[in-house]
Parts: sequence; structure tokens; C-alpha cells
Amino acid sequence: MYLSALNGAEVLKVLHENCAQCHGKDGKVKGKVNLLEITDLDHLKGDPELLQEIIDVIDFEEMPPEDEPPLEVGERKQLQADLEGLRFEAVSEQKAFVPTPIRRMNRFQYHNAVQDLFGLKCTVYSLPERMIRDHGGYFKPASGKMGDLVRVGSRPLGKSQLIEPRLAGVAAFPQDLRAEHGFDTQADHLSMSPLLMESFLKLGQSITGSQDFGPRRVGIWKEFFRLDPRDKREVKVVVRERLEKFLRRAFRGWVKSEVVERYVGFVDVQLARGVEFSEAMKLVAAAIISSPRFLYLYDDSESDGFGLASRLSFFLWGSLPDEELLKAAESGELLKEEGLQKQFGRMLKDPKLKRFCDTFPAQWLQLDRIISSVPDPEKFPEFYFLAYRDSMHMMMEPLLLFETVLIENLPVTEFIDSSFTYRSGHLEESYGKLGNPAKKRSGQVGVLDFHRVPLEDRRLGGVITNAAVMTMTSGPERTQPITRGAWLAGVIFNNPPEPPPADVPTLGENPTEGEEHLTLRERLSMHRKRSDCRGCHEQIDPLGFALENFNAIGKWREKYENGRKVDMEGVLFRKHKFTNVVEFKDAVLLEKERFVRGLAGHLLVFSLGRQLSPADQIALDEIVKKSAVKGYRMKSILGEVILSKSFRALASQAKK
Amino acid sequence: MTTRRGFLRGLGGAALALPWMESYGAKTLTSGVAKRMAHFYVPIGVVRRGFFPGEADATIPKGNLGSLRRSLDKQDPNFGVRNLDQLTPTMMPLSGLKNKINLITGMDRTFQQGTDVHAQCASCYLSSAPPYTIKGTAWPLDRTLDHLVADVAGRETPFPTLEFSCNSHKDNKESIYFDNISWYGTGHLAPSVRDPRKMYRRLFSTKEIDRYRDVTDLVLEDARSMKKDLGYADGQKFAEYFDSIRSIETQMDRLESMKGELAKVSFDEPAEAYLPRGEYIRLMGDLMVVALQSGLTNVATFMVGPERWDTPYLFDGLFDKPMSHHGMSHNQTKMIEQLMKVDRFHMEQYAYLLEKMEGVVEADGSTLLDNTLFTYGSGLGDGSTHQYNDLPIIMAGGGNQVKTGQHINMPEGTPLANLWLTQARMMGVKMKRFADSTGEIDAVKV
Repeated sequence: MYLSALNGAEVLKVLHENCAQCHGKDGKVKGKVNLLEITDLDHLKGDPELLQEIIDVIDFEEMPPEDEPPLEVGERKQLQADLEGLRFEAVSEQKAFVPTPIRRMNRFQYHNAVQDLFGLKCTVYSLPERMIRDHGGYFKPASGKMGDLVRVGSRPLGKSQLIEPRLAGVAAFPQDLRAEHGFDTQADHLSMSPLLMESFLKLGQSITGSQDFGPRRVGIWKEFFRLDPRDKREVKVVVRERLEKFLRRAFRGWVKSEVVERYVGFVDVQLARGVEFSEAMKLVAAAIISSPRFLYLYDDSESDGFGLASRLSFFLWGSLPDEELLKAAESGELLKEEGLQKQFGRMLKDPKLKRFCDTFPAQWLQLDRIISSVPDPEKFPEFYFLAYRDSMHMMMEPLLLFETVLIENLPVTEFIDSSFTYRSGHLEESYGKLGNPAKKRSGQVGVLDFHRVPLEDRRLGGVITNAAVMTMTSGPERTQPITRGAWLAGVIFNNPPEPPPADVPTLGENPTEGEEHLTLRERLSMHRKRSDCRGCHEQIDPLGFALENFNAIGKWREKYENGRKVDMEGVLFRKHKFTNVVEFKDAVLLEKERFVRGLAGHLLVFSLGRQLSPADQIALDEIVKKSAVKGYRMKSILGEVILSKSFRALASQAKK
Repeated sequence: MTTRRGFLRGLGGAALALPWMESYGAKTLTSGVAKRMAHFYVPIGVVRRGFFPGEADATIPKGNLGSLRRSLDKQDPNFGVRNLDQLTPTMMPLSGLKNKINLITGMDRTFQQGTDVHAQCASCYLSSAPPYTIKGTAWPLDRTLDHLVADVAGRETPFPTLEFSCNSHKDNKESIYFDNISWYGTGHLAPSVRDPRKMYRRLFSTKEIDRYRDVTDLVLEDARSMKKDLGYADGQKFAEYFDSIRSIETQMDRLESMKGELAKVSFDEPAEAYLPRGEYIRLMGDLMVVALQSGLTNVATFMVGPERWDTPYLFDGLFDKPMSHHGMSHNQTKMIEQLMKVDRFHMEQYAYLLEKMEGVVEADGSTLLDNTLFTYGSGLGDGSTHQYNDLPIIMAGGGNQVKTGQHINMPEGTPLANLWLTQARMMGVKMKRFADSTGEIDAVKV
């Protein structure tokens, strides 16, 4: 056993003596946790979820709550170490990681997979979820450098930015929903219905049946759809040869001969009916992209390498593996660490990496919320220009920072406190006093010019204090510190708070009578007197109030409208005191392991399509430890995620 | 509006020739004429002054009282049944149909913290599970009433249920929770169709659907072989694919066997053109009625608009410029007149559909409305207070199974699920309890 019997008894003693008052004694079981039920360590080991929960509240210093006697520092550290040891044991006894669950492609992945499979030189259908439109090809991952001027458009909010060359007559199925605290890649959200199945069948046929689906737009036209009159072989032989190759790509692995024959037979029937060759091939292609072997992402327990190849390519490219990746899977090279690293390095340089940047950062930061942010036009008229909202410019800033940190392989601490940013003239203006309008053009609405600018003022920079996040975590009339705190807890530290109980009303937008002279913090504390609310709010409130100097559209302020000074002081994780926002950032930086762990957790959830289990926590610990050696650079974190046991867990092992 | 000719004129003339002949499908072995159920969902609540009897002088909510979630004025907490004689302004369009409806007030849903109030009021309208009973989700959302009913009443129709939405917004502003009242189960959306052309093709394009037959055979083979490669949990999830393909195949078979009858339906394919909002809603409604009438389905849900969705659209004939229903709902002190116009406009569409159903004569001489439980309702009692209590509900139809012409006020705290339980049982579903129900609404029963 990892823990000596003595240590084990110590753990129980500490828990029972310090925590059981509220969690077990006299029938009190706050948070439905009864620690007196735990009479030996095997019990705790058999319940890894509870074990994880206890580790988390100790680790984030959530327990004991502020009004209870604290654990002595040494005791706390020892307890956490012992519990983590226990978790390690529990997990190694379980052995297997949870396999990645089966899920259908989401709308974004389907789009990309179809585009890559046919080598399309246009989009299939418009995707407003790809927020940044790249004008002039600024995104060059192989160069390792982002330019000083990037020209972008906002698909969801910019005029005409959705108008792109695409296949006429193809209608997408509706956008897939992002899971709560999660991503649109999550298996439990990607379900199938008869209507959606019909859409897939129809979609497949409308794609290959589009008037634009021809030699000009389709990269594989010649090798797949066109019958070469000089080829004197039997047509069936040609069809089989083409389908073997095509199916391998579409189904992302080797394809049994009976499957190939089935599709060959389908073409045969069409040709016998008198359908012309290209048309027959279009029909079979439409059928292939309606097959579950195309539509579903799953681990085939018979071919580990191919499963890993798909996981990798849908993670980094949002699409199918290319031939080189399939070959590495087939030869077994991908299952070895060097082979995996080699492919990873290659994939990071491929322009298809843009698809990772089109999904992960916006969903991680929950930037879709900026699309529906509508500050009160009477209170914040400056937020509106022409027929647009400043959010069109705002949303670009954190996304461009993310792309730069990735392409230039900077430390991820830049997300907390960056020494540069990308700004348009309009965005500079929207920052008011803290902005630097210089002579850059303001009020652009289509193609927007974003310039890389150094940042000396540490109040700005990073993904937290930018105008987009500050605006979208506010209500129409005032900031919402609790929303901001919840955002920070969930996004930055990956520890989202539980939703509040049902019978507590939220605070009104405007002060009620007699409360006009109070600061927001005072109003909130009046409002929240119940002891069962405090536990959570002690955690999220200091985070949210730390940002009170930014108003509901992200502009700096020292005072509230009623003249009271903004009160933002606090203590992070009951450890790091801060009196201004720069000190707050320093405090977050002191906790950078937590941030890195949180980010790595988000990446794992995004790539695996499932929630994390206790076994994954061990993998996260390793990712943090290993990437620390390389200064927490973005590519090293991504690399460690991919090399982690969670990511590489194989279907064949899970089955055993 | 009541004559057939009137309908056609109302729809702008030649676009539609409607099949107002006898209803052909929808026969069940036991009763001869099938029972149907439909739900007409109105987003963002109603102006209480305009809708509720006795609230003509109710307090006008100021701005967005998003956090209030209760009534500003005290409603009658006691049970009572009155004759539905004088109709409130919003209900006036139903004046010719008073003996076909019941106004039921005083019913509530329970809000579960942690999700948006508009999203939950729509997505959980037809399930209203008790809060925090559904694991792994923030929504009190379970298999919705329409599907539970269709499990019994939809066994012989090509489509067990149909989902209509009159959301004409082009932007993807809100999540699916704002735009759907129909769910196969927790996290398993039954997506709706917004485009009348798409719905028309789904219902009548047997030619198009035939093309899938070769494909479904082919991919089903793939699915069978693939299932062998999957573990237990994945196999469970993958059942959705089989179910979907099988539904489509059943659908094709049943449509095939109905081909002759469907050929008699003279409903032109809708043109691809902008339709003023009223015409658009009525066209979608016509499609729903024809689907119920012809036995394509026995169960339908109809959202007249999505929840929240701030983007304005043009309510042709009501206002000069595009207006946001949600925006107006938070500005009742200034916009109450306009908002009541919207409420009344939605009621006119409901009345149009009631009249239409009343005009369809079935095989036994009864009307389609007699055989349909067709309920108007919203998940909010008011768009400003965002209250989940005292919801506006009108239940129409049901023929001699239902006692009509009443205003029924339910005692304070009566769950909306009580009405859903009543309807499910009327539709032949044997269930002890539905969601958080505490009993039935006996006053509607004969």
C-alpha cells in the first residue's frame, strides 16, 4: 500500500476531527457529504469521485469555510498529499482510463471532413461559429510568427463576412450546442434523431448534387469522379480501385473487402440502371458520407493506431486524418512516443491548425456570449456605431492573442498577463482612457485591420481584462461580479461553481430604494445572508470583484455612478492579497500551476468528448509537471496532453 | 374567416389550394377516428392586462424584472369555474369558438436555478420534471409529453410526431433550448422544422425519400458491422443511429402505403419567397393541419416564435418597422399597446387554426378539432416578471371527451403537469404521474 497504516489512520482522524461537525455529526450532512460514513480507507478508495471532491475543496481552500477554524498549514498539506496518494492507488487499481465515447461529428467537423475528403476549393456551407475570417492569409503556423498587421472579419457580427464561395444548394443542419462549461465536441450532446438523419442523407446528396460540385471546385474530380476514356480496364475494376482508396480516407482506417464490395455493388446497380459514370460516383460518395462509419467518431477496438490518428486529427484539425497520418497509424509508428511526436510536430505546422483555433479558444473562453451581449443603448451609447456593436471588434482581441501564443509557442502565462495585444483603431477607442487611438482608422465594419501593439499598462493584456470578456460577463446596465467570478472559476481555474439554490432570487439590475448609496459589494452582501450560500460565494466573489474597475463595456473606472470608490480588494484562494487589478494578476500568476492544470483539463475534455474522471487527474498532474520544465509553452502543453495516458488510452485495452 | 373561401383569400390567393375534403387517414383499429394532440407555444409570455380576466387594471411591470419570477399582483388562489362569457381583449379572436375551448388559469411550473429563464420555460414546457431530479444536466427536462403520447398514439403514422417552428430569424443567436419544446429525452433534441418548403418536402416528397432507400440499406449494413466493434456503452449510444434509420424506413414504408391517399392532397409546394409573418405562420399551420388530417401524424408541436431572440423582425401589418418581441416585453411601460398587438396577433393565428380544424369533417362526421386536443400556452406568465406561475393556457378541442366553454381557475400552486397528465390519459396513455403532477384537471373532463 502507498500509505502506511499509520498515515491512513491519520487521514481519517483529520477528516473526522475537523470536518465532521458539518459533514456527518448529529445528522448534519452539508453538501450531502457524510464523512463519518467513511470508516476505513478502502471505503474512500472505492469512491474516487468523493475522493476527488475532497481533494478539490482542500486544494482550492474551499473547506473548511472561512467562519470555521482553519486547518493548520502543515496539516493541510499533509492531508492533501495523503489523499492524492490514495487517489493514485485507487486509480492504478482501476487501471484503465475511461475510453473516448462514440459521438457523431458536429456541424463543424462534418463540414471540414467533407471539404478534405473531396479536396473542395470552397466552403461547403457557411459557419458563423468560425468567428474570425482570415483576409489575406495571416494565419501561417509553419512560419512560427504572427504578423504585425492582420486583416480579419467577424463572421457572426460583421457585415457580409459570411458571404464566401461555397457549394450552391447545400443547406447545413443546425449548429450544435456547446455543453455547459464545455465544448460542442461533447459526446452526450451529439445525438441523432430521425430528422437529423434525414438531413444527413439529404445533405450528402445535395453536396454531390450541387451545381458547383464539378471539376473546378472538387480537388479529387479527376481521380475519382471522371472516367478516363483511355483506361481500358473493366469499369468495375476501376470503381473498386477508386472506392478502396476513398473509403479508407472516409472511414479513417482499413476497410474490410465486404464493405468495399457492397459499395462497388451499389455503383454497379446505378450503372446498370443507365446512370452515367460521374453521376453514379456522386451517388456512392453521397451514400458513403451518410454511413455511420463516416458520421461517427469512435474507437475501433480492432485498430488502435487508426483510433488514435482520428482522435489526433479531429483535435488539431477538426477533420479527418490525412494519408501520412493514416500510414503512421497503419505501420504502428503512431503508437510509439517518437512517432506520435513526429506527427504532432508536423500537424502543428499545417494550415489546417486554423480549425483548432476556430473552435477551442472561442469555446474555452465562452466568447459566443459576446454575440448576444446588448448593453443598454441609453446608458452606453458609445457601444453602438452605424448599425453595429463594438463587440464585433472586441471579440477579435482574445482570439488573436490565442493564435499568437500558439503559433509563436509562447508561455501560456501570456493568457493572464501579455506584453502585447492586437487592436484595431476602433477597439483602441472603445477602451477610452486606457486605449491608444493614435491615428488608426476607427469604425471599420467589414475587413478590420488589427495591429500588434506592445502593452505597458498591465491592467490590460491577457484574456481576462479585455473588453470582450468584461462586456459579456456584465448585464445590460451594470457589471455582474458573480458572473465574472463564475467565469474566472470555470474558464481560468477549471473549477466552475455549482448553480445557486432554486429559492434565492438574483440581485436586480438597479438598486432598490434605500440601497442607492451602497457599493455593489455592499448590496450583494446584504442580499446574501444565508449561510449555505456563503461557501460558494467566498470562492467566486473575490474573483469577480477583482475586476470591478472595468465597467459593463470594459472601460476603466475608479468610481461608481453614486460616487463611491470602486471596492475591489480581496484575497485569492485565501492566500494572496491584492489591492488592485495588477496585483490580482500577480496573484493569479502565483497560482499558475492551477491555471495550467485548468487549461490542460479543458484541452482534454475538448479532445476526448467527455468529462474527466479521477484517473485523468493523475494525467493532468503529469502534464503540468512536464510542461513546467519547458516554461509552460503552449506547444509543450498541447504535446503533453497528446502524450498523456488519458489521450492515448486505447480502445483495445479498455475492452479487456 | 370561417369559410373555406375566406381562408384561401386570407392566404393571398393562388399559392395554396387546400384539401378540404374528408379526412382519409388517421384511423385506428379500435375507435375508427384517431385521437390527435397538438401544442401551440407562444414565446415570452403575454401582457397580463390583456389576457387574464380580472386583471385589466393589473400593475404594469417596469422594465426587465428578470429576477422577480412572481406575479406583481395577487391572483385568485382558489379553485373556481365560470362560464366563458366575456372574453378579454387578447382572447377576442376566439369569440366564435367559445364553446370549443377552456381557459385554464392558475397553473405553474417550477424554475430550476442554473439555466436561462427563457431557455428553460420553452425547453421544459412539455416536461417540467421536478427540479434537480434529472441527473447530469442543468435542465429539468425529460422525455416530453408529445413523445410519450406518440409512443401510444403514433404507432401507425409515418411520423410519430412532427415539430414545427415559426422562427424566421437568420442568425444563430440563441441555443436550441430557446427554440425547441420537443425532446426525445434529456439532452436528446427532437429538432423542429422552420422552413415551410422543408416541411412540405418531408411530408409529401415520396419521390425524394425513395432515393434514400438504396442508401439506407447500404448504411444499415455498415451500422450492423460497426456495432460489433463497439463496447457496451458506445453500443447503447449508437442505438440512436439505428432508431433514426429505422424511423426513416418505417416512415418510407408508411408513406409508400399512403401514396394513393396522399396523391389526393392538393397542397402546392410552397414557393421560395419571403412571406409576411402572418402568412408564414398560417402556411406552417396549414401544413400541420394537413398532416394531422391526412394521418401523416397524430401528434404535433408548433412554436409560433422562439424564446428571447432579440433580433427584431417585421410583424407585417402591425408595425412599420421590425420589432423585437423580447425587447418590447421589457419595456411594457412604453410598449404595452404594441405588445398587446403581438399577443392578439398570435391569438389570431391560433384561432385561424382552430377554425381550420373545425372545418375538416372526419369519417364519422365529427370534425378534426373534435378529435384533437389543441392547446395554446406559454412558459412565462409575463415577459417582464419572467414568472413561472399563473401561465396563460387555453385548451381547445377534444369533442365530447371534454367539457368546454369554461374559465377554470386552478388553486394556487397547481402544476401545469396536471393538465399534461390529463391530456396524456385522454390520449390513451396509461400513466400514474407525469413529471411533477399532483393530479388531473378534473374540470375539463366530462
